[in-house]
Amino acid sequence: MNMDKVENTFFQRASRWKIIILLLILALIITVIISLNMGFAPIPFSDILGIIGKQIPFFDRLFDFSLVSPVNEAIVLEVRLPRIIAGVLIGAALAASGVLYQGVFKNPMADSYVLGVSAGAAVGASASILFGAGVMFFELRLIQIAAFVGAVSALFLVYNLARVGSRVPVTTLLLCGIAVNFFLFAVVSVLEIIAANRLHDIVFWLMGGYSNVYWQHIWAILPFIVIGIATAFFYVRDLNILAMGEETAHHLGVNVERSKLILLVLASLITAAAVSVCGLIGFVGLMIPHLTRLVIGPDHRILLPTSTIVGAIFLVLCDDLARVLSTFFGPMSTRDWPVGIITMLCGAPFFIFLLKKKKRSYGT
Amino acid sequence: MVLLTVDGIECRYGSVKVLEDVSLSVKGGDFVGILGPNGSGKTTLLKSISRILKPHKGTILLNKADIYSLKSIDVAKQLAVVPQDTSIGFNFAVLDIVLMGRNPHMKRLQMESERDMAVARKVMNLTNIWHLAERPINELSGGEKQRVIIARALAQEPKILLLDEPLTHLDIVNQLEIMDLVKDLCIEEKLIILAVFHDFNLAARYCGSAIMLKKGKIFSVGNLADVLNSENIKSVFNVDAIVTKHLVTNSIFVIPLSPQKLSPSKKCSIHLICGAGTGTALMKILLDEGYSVTAGVLNVLDTDFETAQFLKIPVTTEAPFSPITKKTHKANLTMISEASTVVLTSVPFGDGNLQNLEAALIAVKKGIPTFVIEEVPIERRDFTGGKARALLAELKNKGAEFVKDQNELLSLLNVSVEKLKIAKEERDRLLDHLKPEKIPKEIKTKGKDKKK
Repeated sequence: MNMDKVENTFFQRASRWKIIILLLILALIITVIISLNMGFAPIPFSDILGIIGKQIPFFDRLFDFSLVSPVNEAIVLEVRLPRIIAGVLIGAALAASGVLYQGVFKNPMADSYVLGVSAGAAVGASASILFGAGVMFFELRLIQIAAFVGAVSALFLVYNLARVGSRVPVTTLLLCGIAVNFFLFAVVSVLEIIAANRLHDIVFWLMGGYSNVYWQHIWAILPFIVIGIATAFFYVRDLNILAMGEETAHHLGVNVERSKLILLVLASLITAAAVSVCGLIGFVGLMIPHLTRLVIGPDHRILLPTSTIVGAIFLVLCDDLARVLSTFFGPMSTRDWPVGIITMLCGAPFFIFLLKKKKRSYGT
Repeated sequence: MVLLTVDGIECRYGSVKVLEDVSLSVKGGDFVGILGPNGSGKTTLLKSISRILKPHKGTILLNKADIYSLKSIDVAKQLAVVPQDTSIGFNFAVLDIVLMGRNPHMKRLQMESERDMAVARKVMNLTNIWHLAERPINELSGGEKQRVIIARALAQEPKILLLDEPLTHLDIVNQLEIMDLVKDLCIEEKLIILAVFHDFNLAARYCGSAIMLKKGKIFSVGNLADVLNSENIKSVFNVDAIVTKHLVTNSIFVIPLSPQKLSPSKKCSIHLICGAGTGTALMKILLDEGYSVTAGVLNVLDTDFETAQFLKIPVTTEAPFSPITKKTHKANLTMISEASTVVLTSVPFGDGNLQNLEAALIAVKKGIPTFVIEEVPIERRDFTGGKARALLAELKNKGAEFVKDQNELLSLLNVSVEKLKIAKEERDRLLDHLKPEKIPKEIKTKGKDKKK
C-alpha cells in the first residue's frame, strides 16, 4: 500500500519547507556579506564581519574590534550597508507583491504595473523632479513621498473605477488597471517633454535604481514592507483557494471580496514603499514568483516566503553587478548603472532557460 | 437534522428576472433533482442558495438562520458545492486540492492536521482517486478532475451538497459510481442533496423528489413521479416523451422523442394494420413525414395501441386479449376505406387477429394501394395453421406491394404519393374531357387501359 507513503511525504513537507526557508535565509546572509566586500575600496571580510559584529549587542563584548579602521567602518555602515539593506527590502517587496498580485488575479502576467501602482509612483516622482527637486520633509526627499502618494492614489483610483456595487470583479480590475496605467504613463511622457534639462533625472528614475540611499529612506519604508509581508502571511491559504476560482473559494469558506481587497491593498502598499525609493525596477515582481513556482510548486504558503527571500537575494546580486559595471565602465556619467537594467538583462535569459527546461510541468 | 428553506425568492441579473417566487423546503435525507430547460434558472437557484447571487426578495434559511447573515466559513462547514465547470489557476497536486476542502475547519496559519488528512483520505477512497494523490491536477482527465472536485466538496463534511450538472465530464460507469456514492451519503449521513440534472433517467433513478423550473418559476414540485410525467415534460421542455416504469430498475423511465418536424402535411392518409409493437416506430415516422395516420384493429393495452394513444392516432380498438369481433372488423373496414394507402406490418397472426389480414385483402380488392412489410417471414409468425400464409399469398396475387423493411416502404411511399398525385391529375383531366359535348373515343379507351 502506498497510502502511508503519500501521507508521510505530505507531513514531511512542513519540515522540508522549514529547511528550504532556513537555507535561503543563510544564502541571503552570505550574499549580504559578500556584497559588503564589493565596491571601490576593498575591505577585507574579517573587517566586514568585525564591523557587523560590533553592531550586535552582547557580541561586541566577546571580540576585539579595535583593529577595524574607522574609515572602513564608515564606508560599510553608512554607504554600503544601507544600499544593500535597501536592495534586500526592495527585492523582497517586489517579489512578494508579485506573488500576491499573481495569486489574486490568477494571471501569470500580473505584477505591480498592472494596477497602475508603478505608473502612479512614476507620475508622482516625475512631477516632484520637475517642480520640487531638492525639497525635503523630515529628512526624506520630496520625490520619495510623491512617488508613494502617487502609487497609493493610483490604486484607489483603479479600485474604485473597477467596483461594481460591493464587488470588484478581477477582470474589470485588470482592465481598469491597464487603462489607468497607460493614462498615467502618458502623463509621465508629457512631464518628460516639458522637463527640458531635468529629463535626464526622470529617465534615470524610470530605469530604476537606488544608488544614493541612506538610512532614513530605509526606516521610512521598512514598516510598510515588513508589516505588509507579515500580514499577507495570514492570507496565504486564501490565495491557494482563490486559485480555484472566486466562486469556489467562496464555497470553501473564503470571504472572497474581503480577502481580495486586503491582499491587493497589502501588495500595493508594499510596492508603493519599494518603488518610492527605487523607481521602476522591472522583472523582479513579475519573474521571481514564476521562477520560484517553477522550482517549488504553486502552494502560496511556501511560495510567498521563498519568493520574498529569492527576490531579495536576486536584487542584491544585481545591484552588486551594477556597482561592478559602474566601476569598470564608469564614470560615463556621474551615476551608477541603474539596477533596473541589470535585473532585466540577467533575469530574463535565466528565466527563459528555466522555462525551457521545466516546460512540461509548467501548465497553467 | 439539517433544514434548508427557500422562501419566495426572486433573483435578478441587472433588471432581468431569472427566478421568481421560488420556494421549497428540504430536510436531511432528501435527494432533490432540479430539472428544467436551459435558461430556466436551475443554476441561479443553486447560486442563490450557495450565497453567490443574493436574492432580490425572499429569504433562504439554513437551520432557521438567514444564510446571507452567516459567515462564509460557517456556511462552508455545512454546505458544499460541486460547480458546473472548474478551472484551476495553478498546477496543484490532487491531495492539495482535496485538502482545500478542509479550509472551513482550519484556523489561519494552521497546517493540515492528521484528522484533516484522515478525512481527505476517506473521501478520496470513496471517489476512487487516492492513487492520484500526488499527480498535478492539470494532467488528469476530465472525469478524474471531476472526481477530485467532488472529493473536495465531500472533504468539507457538508450537511448539504449542491451539485450543478455534476456528471457532465463523466462516462457512464463513473456517473453511476458517483451518483451511487452521493445517494449513499444522502441516506446514511442524512445529507440534503440538491442536484441539477439534464438526464431525466439519472434524475429518476436517484431523486426522491424533484423541482421542475420553467422560465424562472417553479412549474411543478413534489414526488419525482408526480413531477416527471409526460404532460409536464411536454409543457416545460416542449418535447414529447414516453414515461414508463422501467422493468429492471423499477424507476421512472423517460424516452424523449425528437421534436415534431414540421414537414408539410401530405394530405395522404395511411392506415396501419399492425400490433405487438410492430407499428410503433412507423407511426412516429409517418406522422413526422406529414402523413395522417390511422390504425386498427388493435387490442387495448397492446404496445402499438399505447403508442397510438400517445401520438393521438385514431384507432379501431378491441377489448384486451380478445379476438376481433364482426363489429370492430366493420369499423376497421370503414377506416380503411377512408385511407389512401394501407400498410401491413410483420405482425404475428393468430386466430384472434386473422381478420386484420382479411381486411387488408379487402383493401387490395377495393383498389387501395397496399404495402406489406415482410421483415419476418410469414412461416415464423403464422400461428393459424397456414391460414395466414394463404391469405398473404392471395394478397400478393391481388397486387399488394411487398417490401422488405420500413426504409423500402418509405422510399416507395414517397414515389407512390407522387404517383397518386399524377394519377389524380390525370383523372381530373380525363373527367374534364369526358364532359358530354366532347368525348373522343380514343381517350375513353385509354382511360380504360389505365384502370387495368
